[in-house]
Amino acid sequence: MSCDELRPDYELFVMGTLEDPERLEVLAHVESGCRTCSLGIREARATVYALGASAEGPAPPAGLRNRLLASVGAAPRSAWHWNMAWRIAAAVAIAAIVALVYVDWRQAAETTALRKQVGREAAESAGLRAALTLLESPETREVRFGEGQPAPPRGRVFVNPSSGVLLVASNLPAPPAGKTYEMWIVPKAGKPAPAGLFASGADGTAVHVYRAPVSLADIGAIAVTLEPAGGVEAPTSQPVIAAAL
Amino acid sequence: MGEPQARDKGIILIAAGTACAVMLPLVWAVFAKSEGDLLLRLQGRDPHALAELYDLYGKLVYGLVLRVVRDAAIAEDLVQETFLRAWNRVAGFDCERGAVGPWLLAIARNRAIDHLRCHGRRERSTVEFEETEHPSAFADLENDIVRSDIVERVKKALKLLEANQRSAIELAYFEGLSQTEIAERMGQPLGTVKTWVRRALEHLRGELRGGRSA
Repeated sequence: MSCDELRPDYELFVMGTLEDPERLEVLAHVESGCRTCSLGIREARATVYALGASAEGPAPPAGLRNRLLASVGAAPRSAWHWNMAWRIAAAVAIAAIVALVYVDWRQAAETTALRKQVGREAAESAGLRAALTLLESPETREVRFGEGQPAPPRGRVFVNPSSGVLLVASNLPAPPAGKTYEMWIVPKAGKPAPAGLFASGADGTAVHVYRAPVSLADIGAIAVTLEPAGGVEAPTSQPVIAAAL
Repeated sequence: MGEPQARDKGIILIAAGTACAVMLPLVWAVFAKSEGDLLLRLQGRDPHALAELYDLYGKLVYGLVLRVVRDAAIAEDLVQETFLRAWNRVAGFDCERGAVGPWLLAIARNRAIDHLRCHGRRERSTVEFEETEHPSAFADLENDIVRSDIVERVKKALKLLEANQRSAIELAYFEGLSQTEIAERMGQPLGTVKTWVRRALEHLRGELRGGRSA
């Protein structure tokens, strides 16, 4: 018989239920080294194993394990063996690595936040130092704005030719989302020049320093407008503060 | 300031990744090797290895034997006999190339069917069952045949067979009947039974191939 004719019989051969003469035919093919039949029988063992493993049943009685061990002269031992210990050790090691990475990530995030905070505070401190320097200078010129108005922002502008411009304001509401305050140096002739972005605090106060030399003789006014976050090169709205020099 | 920290973080991530990359194959190697090591220990007559073998396959073997003999007390005896037979014959088993699960199930099935034959006064068929459980028969079997998903697939396929096909296959496997004996038991012509068995096996074979290539 050919291998093709024997192919359907491989599983029965493996099960031991194939009858003669087919059984003898398969046996002869295998014993003569027939590769097709040998491979087919190997595959048939997988099918037969799956048939056996498909038999569902209850767990064996608890005492059977001990009985088996006793029959080979061994004392019962827990099912918890080294294989399990290896698995647990590997799981713990992986968990430790994951935890380490997580802790490092958390620490890095916290450090970044702290650095940002320190950076902000350093900038504020530098701004205050610049403001104090500007205020102490005898060349500084002071202008008030908003006086006599019921609600609008009020405050003072200090202009120093070598240190720049200091704006101190109150009654300045916090800018809406997506907006920021932008200060402008408005010359007597020409277009306003941007002089930095700032926001007011929750109490409506704001302090902003523009640190660059300015020409007192050429400045007509200091103004503040509400602009899109990130600022603009030329004012797009009416000033909320205007202090004429 | 940010660059060194990012570099440190990168180093730790690379270290963790490397550790995982090293650990995982190691873990898998341990798992994959465990059965081979277990067999080596069985060959070294380590009785605790027998306990571990039982922990791995005891439920499967008991389920199969109980299905064949349908008596819990007899099943217990036959399961014990199965593992003792494996214990006594493991020296001939190729630890590197053999698949122990299929071997154990073959021993268990033969013990259970022998019991049926002895107590049911059935004639032993023309087939020599001893041949079907020789350790050499289980060399070079791929380990993936014991994958539970493949077994589940075949189990489902078995349930989907036509009733006659399923009965014929079950009589062949769980009772060890030849096709002639199945035909007598079912009161059907031998040719019809052969067709049922052939179609059922084709179906199961197809499912198994599909499962292994999945």
